[in-house]
Amino acid sequence: MMPGRRDVREVIREEPLRRREIQTMLADGAKTIREISAQLGYPSEEILFWIMGMRKYGYVAEVPEVTEDGYYRYRNADREAF
Amino acid sequence: MDYDVLVIGSGISGMESAIKLGDMGYRVLMVEKEASIGGKMILLSKVFPTLDCASCISTPKMAAAIHHPKVTTMTYSEVETIRRVDGRFQAEIVKHPRFVDEAACTGCQQCETACTVSVPDQFNSDMVARHAAYIPFPQAVPKKAVLERAGTSPCTATCPAGVKAHGYVSLVRSGEYEKAFELVLQSTPLVGTLGRACFAPCESECSRGSLEGAVPIRRIKRFIADRHYQSKHSPGVILKAPKGQRIAIVGSGPAGITAAWHLARKGYPVTIFEAEAIAGGAPALTIPSYRLPSAVVAQDIDNLRQIGVDIRTGVRIDNVQTLSEQGFAAVLMAIGTTASVRLRVPGEDLEHVQSALAFLQAVKTGKRPSLLQMDVVVVGGGNVAIDSARSALRLGANSVRLVSLETRLDMPAFSWEIDEAVREGVELSNGWGIQSISEDGVELVRCTATLDAEGRFNPQYDPAVTQHVGGDRVIVAAGMKPDSESWQSEVMVKPNGRIMVDADTLKTSIPYVFATGDAVTGPSTIAEAAGAGVKAAAQIDEWLRKAPSRLSGEAKPPKVQRDAVLARQTHYAERLPVKADKALVFKPRDFAEIEPGLTEQEARYSSGRCLDCGVCSECQECIAACPADAIHLDRTDEHLATMVDSVILATGFKLFPADLKPQYGYGRYKNVITGMQMDRLLAPTRPYHTVLRPGDGKVPENIAYIMCTGSRDKTVGNPLCSKICCMYSNKQNQLIMGALPLADVSVYDIDMRTTGKGYEEFYLQTAEMGTNFVKGRVAEIVEKDDGNLIVRYEDIEHEGQIQESEHDLVVLAVGVQPNHDVERFFGPNLLGLDDYDYVNETDETMSPGKTNIPGVYVAGTAAGAKDIPESILHAGAAVAQAVAYIEGRRLHI
Repeated sequence: MMPGRRDVREVIREEPLRRREIQTMLADGAKTIREISAQLGYPSEEILFWIMGMRKYGYVAEVPEVTEDGYYRYRNADREAF
Repeated sequence: MDYDVLVIGSGISGMESAIKLGDMGYRVLMVEKEASIGGKMILLSKVFPTLDCASCISTPKMAAAIHHPKVTTMTYSEVETIRRVDGRFQAEIVKHPRFVDEAACTGCQQCETACTVSVPDQFNSDMVARHAAYIPFPQAVPKKAVLERAGTSPCTATCPAGVKAHGYVSLVRSGEYEKAFELVLQSTPLVGTLGRACFAPCESECSRGSLEGAVPIRRIKRFIADRHYQSKHSPGVILKAPKGQRIAIVGSGPAGITAAWHLARKGYPVTIFEAEAIAGGAPALTIPSYRLPSAVVAQDIDNLRQIGVDIRTGVRIDNVQTLSEQGFAAVLMAIGTTASVRLRVPGEDLEHVQSALAFLQAVKTGKRPSLLQMDVVVVGGGNVAIDSARSALRLGANSVRLVSLETRLDMPAFSWEIDEAVREGVELSNGWGIQSISEDGVELVRCTATLDAEGRFNPQYDPAVTQHVGGDRVIVAAGMKPDSESWQSEVMVKPNGRIMVDADTLKTSIPYVFATGDAVTGPSTIAEAAGAGVKAAAQIDEWLRKAPSRLSGEAKPPKVQRDAVLARQTHYAERLPVKADKALVFKPRDFAEIEPGLTEQEARYSSGRCLDCGVCSECQECIAACPADAIHLDRTDEHLATMVDSVILATGFKLFPADLKPQYGYGRYKNVITGMQMDRLLAPTRPYHTVLRPGDGKVPENIAYIMCTGSRDKTVGNPLCSKICCMYSNKQNQLIMGALPLADVSVYDIDMRTTGKGYEEFYLQTAEMGTNFVKGRVAEIVEKDDGNLIVRYEDIEHEGQIQESEHDLVVLAVGVQPNHDVERFFGPNLLGLDDYDYVNETDETMSPGKTNIPGVYVAGTAAGAKDIPESILHAGAAVAQAVAYIEGRRLHI
């Protein structure tokens, strides 16, 4: 089992469900995993699963520069979630 | 086909064995259970101690193996058994379907992009999602897509109408509401009708039902129908080129409508003849509006008109010959069960006695009788009786008493319908038959049994026990049968009025006349009738084209079992179902719909509760996206047998499951990962865009390695050294310092084992680059609130003091374990294993690779922990043994 308090399979299964929510929030500007977690109220490790899944399939992309406290920010990419 | 050698496994040892044997002219069959060859090595970042790119070394081997003229490779295949036959070996192999035509697939990944199901990516150590349609990894060989299907999802498997329930649920989860509507349309145009009035066997089968409650699959269908009809008036389906043969369908109930839908989409001009003034059959005429509003049925029926189906209402067909004379090439009788079964008791023809069908039809079509202040008796125990009773309440009845032969538990009506009727004020008299009907009520007689010893309907009564029930109106729902009297001169009809057909072809006694639905089977549900319509359409299409119809139904994998689904997760977070919240009131006085629709938020949430039982949802998005038309869901396992002279076992190893060391917190702590996961993070095809800690995406600055996790450890049953952990950790340390120059790396080890050429130098180089090697056995790891980890260890170099240090990421250098898959090939206890369950080499020193079974050899880590160069060397030894065996045997023959 991978790190994470919920079963990984369960978290990953929900990714399609979260795409629009995340994209709507990122429409305001790029955010770190922690910032997305704080705003949406889901654990940061689950946000990471969803962001990386969305990144893999073209919904979000990373901003190249890392923040001072060591986080990347993520922005909406071309593909739009429903 | 025969081969000289069967090689099981296509990791570096398997590939090396196959290529070497092929180069020597031997015919080799290499079988790999995954969808790509390459084993674990192709997933590594780099190799030690040279830091060569693992992919750069593996991919030429993979290409050489797959293209070798003497090597046949079967991927996504498993050896089931191997047994000796006449001095050779017979291997039984199962080739699992990819559901993708390998010759046509270009590896474009468009299916993967379109897929609506996300699962953990096993090729990225479960650190990121992949889709159910996927290409294993970028360097996969063959680079062909595969659809992961564990079986047919129970909801889809059980739908009588063939609706891909899992598919539309997964589309709703992805927000693709219109595509979900279109997916249901592939089976039936009755999307809104089934969304409200289906008895939803899918929900009874839903695996989530074993947890907090089933996914509300039917209401999700209603949601997509309502949403579609709010904004669109065209079904938006593509029709086939027009065909010349016209088809007549008699009856516009669910069976007739669904058959018409499929035939029209195939290009046939279809005319429906409906005797009533309104098309739609029972959904339009008799199912009360509080369950199914007329407008919903009308919208569904309009789907047919939109694709050109000619629906002629008020036209009764009593003679099939007339249709033939009008030029129809085929006729489908889908006349339903519109006639009522009579009670055959005195008083049945009195003026205040009415059949339930006539009553419900009057109510539904706006000719509502007033039952104000009347006492109503409804006779019957089925759903029609329940509908009648609840409708009578809504028409102002003072009381409604439902009399049925059966006990409440045995009533044919759905239990929830009975419960709702009672909550609305319907009174039940169970276990009574009707003796007679009079002006002021009914005479009841005690029913002692409804079925005889053979299980046939044959009610028995106790005439000594009777009762009078007063009533101003009696509604009889004693059963339904086809109104087929006028057809009896042309087609064969059973005594109960049902039309006789060939069970397979649905043909009647007239070659061009088919019959289906309730007219053949007796009363059924809307979904069952719709399914009968699909079957009829397929049979008519086949008969007219004189060729098999694709409507006949695709081969499906077996229904996936609920236990297997639930076993995929160790635990489930609670996700309560959305409450039905039906608007049930005592003695309702209107026909307003009682069940609310799901909001968009509720529909998305509910679809998110789906467990993806079959993995692939059959949503068809991959099929639509594939530019090569390469995806075919109708494939099944292929079983084949082959004869070989020799077998090489190259089944590799398993990694130690790190959660078996609970003191390290793997699986509980977000930022504790395994060495293989770190290798993936460092690989060019990594799951993230760089090395990040999984807890929150932070770039790690202080990383700890815990050596000997699951090796040299008797507490987990593995006293052996895994040989590779020290060196892969050193390799990763060097790569981390390249990728994250500011990061500190500490390694907690007992000692560092550097037994290969250049290994000690590599270790020293790692230390010189800045890795902090700590001699200490780690006792425990504790997670802090910020996700950092406290490593508590015994400091060997400082008199065994207990020390603590904080890190933001911990890597467990997990060891290797034997792969037990190898044990099943030859049957119980035939293949010799060593004390640690690796394949035993009977003469490891003088004849490496030789097992206890003559002709069977082991290559690589299936025999014990090895690094890559050792594995390749060992494969060479196994090849030499196999060749010596084959040639020796041939000399003797």
